[in-house]
Amino acid sequence: MSDLAMYDVVEKEKKQYIVVKIGGEHYGIDISYIDNIVRLSKITRVPKAPLYYRGVINLRGEVVPVMSLRRRMDLDDDEFTDSSRIIILKLDGGGLMGVIVDEVKEVLSLSEDDIEAPSSTLKSKNSFINGVGKNGDELISIFEISSIIGDNEAS
Amino acid sequence: MDVSQYLDIFIDETSGHIQSLSDNIMELEKEPDNKDVVNEIFRAAHSLKGMAGTMGFKKMQHLTHDMENVFQEVRNDNVKVNSALIDILFKCLDAIENYLETVKATSNEGDEDNEALIKLLNDYLAGGGGEGGGEAAAPAEAPAEGGESGGEAAASDDSADGPLYKKIPVDPELCEKLKGEKQLYGFTIHISKDCLLKAARAFLVFKAVEDFGQIMAFNPSSGDIEDEKFEFDFSFILSTESELDPIIEAIKTVSEIESVEADKVTPEMYEKKEEEAPAPEAAPAAAAPAPEAAPATPAPAAAPAAPAAPAAKAGAGKTNQPANKPVTSRTIRVDIEKLDALMNQVSELIIAKNSLASQSNGSGEIDSQTLHENIEYLERITTNLHESVMKVRMVPIESVVAKFPRMIRDLDRKLNKPMELVMTGEDTELDRTVVDQLGDPLQHLLRNSADHGIESPEDRRAAGKPEKGTIFLNAFQEGNNVIIEVGDDGGGINTDKVRDKAVERGLVTPEEAENLTQKEIIDFLFMPSFSMAKQITDISGRGVGLDVVKSNIEALGGDVTVKSVMGEGSTFTVRLPLTLAIIQALMVEIRDEKYAIALASIMNIENIPKSEIKYVESKEVIHLRGQVIPLIHLDKLLDFEPKEDTEDTMTVVICKKGDTLGGIIVDNLIGQLEIVIKSLGKLDNNKLISGATILGDGEIAMILDVNAVI
Repeated sequence: MSDLAMYDVVEKEKKQYIVVKIGGEHYGIDISYIDNIVRLSKITRVPKAPLYYRGVINLRGEVVPVMSLRRRMDLDDDEFTDSSRIIILKLDGGGLMGVIVDEVKEVLSLSEDDIEAPSSTLKSKNSFINGVGKNGDELISIFEISSIIGDNEAS
Repeated sequence: MDVSQYLDIFIDETSGHIQSLSDNIMELEKEPDNKDVVNEIFRAAHSLKGMAGTMGFKKMQHLTHDMENVFQEVRNDNVKVNSALIDILFKCLDAIENYLETVKATSNEGDEDNEALIKLLNDYLAGGGGEGGGEAAAPAEAPAEGGESGGEAAASDDSADGPLYKKIPVDPELCEKLKGEKQLYGFTIHISKDCLLKAARAFLVFKAVEDFGQIMAFNPSSGDIEDEKFEFDFSFILSTESELDPIIEAIKTVSEIESVEADKVTPEMYEKKEEEAPAPEAAPAAAAPAPEAAPATPAPAAAPAAPAAPAAKAGAGKTNQPANKPVTSRTIRVDIEKLDALMNQVSELIIAKNSLASQSNGSGEIDSQTLHENIEYLERITTNLHESVMKVRMVPIESVVAKFPRMIRDLDRKLNKPMELVMTGEDTELDRTVVDQLGDPLQHLLRNSADHGIESPEDRRAAGKPEKGTIFLNAFQEGNNVIIEVGDDGGGINTDKVRDKAVERGLVTPEEAENLTQKEIIDFLFMPSFSMAKQITDISGRGVGLDVVKSNIEALGGDVTVKSVMGEGSTFTVRLPLTLAIIQALMVEIRDEKYAIALASIMNIENIPKSEIKYVESKEVIHLRGQVIPLIHLDKLLDFEPKEDTEDTMTVVICKKGDTLGGIIVDNLIGQLEIVIKSLGKLDNNKLISGATILGDGEIAMILDVNAVI
């Protein structure tokens, strides 16, 4: 009996996501991957790096590579505005990496039930999405962080 | 006195003195008449003796004292220095080093008293240094009997120690008197450490026990106790007819008494004690389970007459007090200038903090502009602080290579091959962790050179070489690497033999072997358990050599290569990366981006008119002082748009990669800067860029990998 109840709780446990805007869409990033969110600072180009890496920034004395999600997802090139932010992600190996987003909207709690697997028609080959979350009427694409970080060129 | 807190300093300084002794004794062997060296040695030996004495390491003190005697005689020209004496001195040094190791491991100097060595020293003095040398060279490691009996004496002494009250000095007269008493109890009172009026407490204790009987003996003396001339414990013997327990109860009613040890004693115990007194066993404060004291009371040695702490129980006596904590602390000696720089940055940090604090306290509203400036300032300081701390971690490799001349000298004797070690670049700096692990591989390579590399004197003479072989160790920085070359002018690697051996071991077929390049053959030497030695010596030849060297160096992120010329010798080149390192770099500008080029790979910088560009195989080159140097357009390489320029000269940074040169064209020179190399994280596998660095203003500059560019 009590076992059953426990199971229920685990099922309903919610994960928190940072909702960001890139282009016209809203995306969710699992908060457990996030180290920090910083304002845009000077990005230094790294020659010969893959195009979707815009370069590196100085984050408190550490050199952190920064990726353009727009370039990664073959969208229009970044427009840097006042609301642009760099989200610093923690990598498995212990390093850090930044991704540029247009805007950070809010923190959202979603349970497993609120997230649908992307349908096969939506899920193209170069997808970095592993689900679509529903927040009222709004749809939020949940990023699969490992595939963003992964070096394999989107093909 | 409790000296355990000085143990770290002792260990550190002793290693320093041992090293300086070793260096100077080597020097002395070369120039036996150099009085400066003798004086230096004398000073080091004297300091060693003093320190050992202070720490209560009696055996170590004894040995150094006798060494000092010898040096004294040398200084006064009463004894001549010869190689036999040097041999003895080195053995003494080894013995001292053993003491030090034991101290490091157990906080105690151990039982080895090196009687044999001391005897050797004294014999040498007695014999005026004439003969005795031949025998002196015989292994002095046979103090078996002396050492062991010494150890046992110590053991029995230990077992007799017990609580402090058993060590009360009792003169024979009193002893006789004690025998007349009915029943005697020994007491040791430990007073609480924060007690202010120790004498008063002691007085109360005495007052309490005197209700039961008469105090026969004190330790320290009653006068000293009244004058507070004792640490936190004192002992006495009480003659009484009462039971023990009520007395202890009475003592415990006195406040600030931490614990009481007490038991029956007999006058005979003190008689025996009397006999052993001349051989006091110095032991550092050891937390020993005292019979009644519930918490293990730290027991500082009580009185000068009885300088020992409560020793382990009788049974533990033989095993040399096992419970002592090993001293594992690792210390580092830092150049005072580096520390000063660190200190300066810390003071700047405090200033920055204060200015932030005053702003927040002031108007209540903070001007975001100033706040920003302050934060940037703070950031800069912390970055500098980080750099400085890294710099503190950098130590010269001297600390590991300094022992090698001595080692080669020993091998010279052992192998009967005259040779000497020439070292350069001992001041090359590497991160502490790397330096620590460098010792073994280097030692191995040197032994290898001594054993396999250098030929016998006869062979050398036949080959027209000087009889004395030369082994060299050169360290220097090249770009982002530290290179350490270890080699010899010996016979070189006989590749034919290595190939035969490889075939014999079934590693390659004879047909394949024919086509192997020299490099491939030499690589066999790095295979596990591949030994070329015809016979196994204790120096090398067990086949657990070069492969271990290779894996050790690779674990540090480096690599090993070999160059060998038959008849002329071989050189092992160890290349270690400077990952944590700080390098000197030239900052250059290309368009609006800044790049760093490691100063070590730069030959020179030239301003060259464009008209001097010549073409070889349709590639741009310049002809400079007799050398043809290919030009590298860095802007093209880094994907910049070609520059429309009107200038008719260009700035060329001429760099070298091994023996090849290349001229890198840059837009502007900024200047020389000391930079900290940072990893690029995910982007680290970049071909042109070896890392990045953060400049003083927080901006990032890429570090150009010259080896990839040229």
